[in-house]
Amino acid sequence: MSSETKQILTTDGVPLEVSLKKVERRNKFKAFLLVAPLLFFLLIVYISPIIGMLFNSVDDRMVTNSLPKTFIAMEKWDGKELPSEEVFEAFYIDFKKLMDEEKDGKLSTQLNYTKNGFKSIIKKLRRKSKSFEEGNYKEQIMAVHERWANVEYWRAIKRRAPSYSYSKYLKGVDMYENEDGKFVQVEEDRRIYKKLWVRTLKIAFYVTLFCFLMAYPIAHLLATLPMKFSNLLMICVLLPFWTSLLVRTASWMILLQQQGVVNDFLVWIGFVANDKRLEMMYNETGTYIAMTQILLPFMVLPLYSVMKTISPSLVRAGKSLGGTPFITFWKVYFPLTIPGIGAGSLLVFILAIGYYITPELVGGASGTLISNQIAYHMKYTLDWSFASAMGLMLLVGVLGVYWVYNKLVGIDNIKLG
Amino acid sequence: MRKLSKLLLTLVFALSVSSTSYAVTVASWGGAYTESQKLGYGDPTAKKLGIPINWVDYSGGLSEVKAQKAAGKITWDIMDVFAMDTINGCDEGLFVKFDFDKDFPAAPDGTKASKDFFTSMPSKCAVGNILYSWTYAYHDAKIGSKKPKTIKDFFDTKTWPGKRGVYKGAMHNLEMALAASGTKPGKGGKNIYKKLSKAKGLQQAMDKMKALCADPNGGCVFWSAGAKPPELLMQGEVVMATGWNGRFFNAEIGEGAPLKQVWDAQGLDYQYMVVVKGGPNESDAMKAIAQMTSTEGLAGSAKYIAYAPWRKSSLKIIEAGEPWYKDGKTAMMGQMPTHPNNTKNYFLVDAVFWADNGTEIGEKWEAMKSGL
Repeated sequence: MSSETKQILTTDGVPLEVSLKKVERRNKFKAFLLVAPLLFFLLIVYISPIIGMLFNSVDDRMVTNSLPKTFIAMEKWDGKELPSEEVFEAFYIDFKKLMDEEKDGKLSTQLNYTKNGFKSIIKKLRRKSKSFEEGNYKEQIMAVHERWANVEYWRAIKRRAPSYSYSKYLKGVDMYENEDGKFVQVEEDRRIYKKLWVRTLKIAFYVTLFCFLMAYPIAHLLATLPMKFSNLLMICVLLPFWTSLLVRTASWMILLQQQGVVNDFLVWIGFVANDKRLEMMYNETGTYIAMTQILLPFMVLPLYSVMKTISPSLVRAGKSLGGTPFITFWKVYFPLTIPGIGAGSLLVFILAIGYYITPELVGGASGTLISNQIAYHMKYTLDWSFASAMGLMLLVGVLGVYWVYNKLVGIDNIKLG
Repeated sequence: MRKLSKLLLTLVFALSVSSTSYAVTVASWGGAYTESQKLGYGDPTAKKLGIPINWVDYSGGLSEVKAQKAAGKITWDIMDVFAMDTINGCDEGLFVKFDFDKDFPAAPDGTKASKDFFTSMPSKCAVGNILYSWTYAYHDAKIGSKKPKTIKDFFDTKTWPGKRGVYKGAMHNLEMALAASGTKPGKGGKNIYKKLSKAKGLQQAMDKMKALCADPNGGCVFWSAGAKPPELLMQGEVVMATGWNGRFFNAEIGEGAPLKQVWDAQGLDYQYMVVVKGGPNESDAMKAIAQMTSTEGLAGSAKYIAYAPWRKSSLKIIEAGEPWYKDGKTAMMGQMPTHPNNTKNYFLVDAVFWADNGTEIGEKWEAMKSGL
């Protein structure tokens, strides 16, 4: 056209670019409106609870706001010997206010999480403080119970001073921050979580592996059989999938018990002696078997849908070029199924890491995962901030797995069909 | 016809809405126990007061009611709770504080409620419901010719090899371990708790439980639901299992299972009811709980399960009406946890000890379990 750019105008005199931009914006807005319900649903149901959990896990304002004067007085305390009379007096004033507001019980629960033994001495203090005299609080408080004269308990109170603290995250890896600010491991007989994290990853990995080994042949069969047989087999795969999870787990309990169907059969064919029945329930073995069967459809379906798109003529072509069956499989067929393997493995691994019901019912003591501990803290110790912290650590771990997978295989390399 | 069915539908809907808003919801432990509560004092109370009572199941702990409070919508009026949960819940302001003589009826002979109670309550928020016991049982036909008789036999994996069923928490397991190691309970089990509050005693109890669970001839299966121990015994999964005596009684007498209980070193425990503060129907709940824990109410529950009523006056009613069990044949007094035959060697589960130390001991216990 001509070298000088004369603006192209639309029929109503507006420049074309402006008109185009306006139309594009309108289209984008319409598209956003279509997605908006889902976006708000996700925000309300998914994102905001996670943010709530994040706040819950670091929120220590309850203790900080309950003992304001105490913490101010403690700032000058170095934590080495027992605190001064000033701290005791400040604590007594704060405590009296809490008693009037009936909030001292909550404080005792919280402090008990930090150091065991607070519950009883706070109750005793409540009773005895009604008859306290003015002044000389240090002596009076220490006389209530010997633990009040133990510097460890005052150090524990000081540790709760900050409004927000990451101590629950440290607890989730069996560590805590001592007075000098160093990260220290808890005593040997209280280390639970590191072991459980490792066990969770291990079980999730092996379940993924077993699912893959079992699902690949099944999916291949489904993809290559003629329609009428493969439809029938597909129903066999999907039917358990539609049954309730709890029903499937309970059925495994009946099958795998010591006096259960599997053991009875093995004894009957003479494979196993009657008094040496296999222990497949209430231990890790039970968890492996039950979880593999329950997560199998998640591996079969992505593999099936990818395999269905592979044309059989490719394999025939490979063979006609002189490839042995194994080489043809390995060099032609297998690489084409990698996107399906990726999708299935990621799905199964992420599901397995967070699994709760199956390990709870069939895992006994050695087959439980980290989610069972999270549930334990939700239900029994009621330390919800700790449960939130562990839940978030799990979430970050899963996102980490996703990131590693993306680096290794690439997330665009996933196909679900 | 269409008009009539529409009218019927709205009528049914209105009735259901109105009845649930007046109903009192009780959360309890399910299974044979809730059955006994429903038939023993739930239905009679509902009939007498004209208030429908709904029963929901839960598995202990304060997490649900705490979550309900945090969400601002409490759905339970009354809860049947462990002793230590009444202490914890009262401290947290979850439950209504009672004035015992005012809120609860006197015994038929005029004794004030607070004097009729078996013992004093652990907190102002709890009213005593029943006394139950942690015992252990075995399958009479599958155990062999020699039968276990004492608590030491529970840990004897040479004479009775096989797995044992134990409670999934530390409560009761540690006391049982100490009793089996030869610690004499003392009055009400004082000695056991004195030993447990020292690090050495605690370690001894944990080691004994760990030895049992890690034993190749032994092994532990952990249960949390009350109905599980009789089930495990019947399935043959375990050779001995601890459990709550009422559930074993129900399996043995109520369902004819060949299970036998061992009362040696039983753990006597109290069960309480509480009223949730801010529940949907607090005023009716107070009336209902007063009726359910009255003398006749508690005696009624003993018709269906072998738990001892909290009130001394109820025991008198049962004695006078023997055989008291619903089948009309079994005498209940001998089955009660408090009967002298069964309390030769016992300890009282110390709620205050567990309220204080539950968290810390729980951590050590979970660590021990995860190392199995």
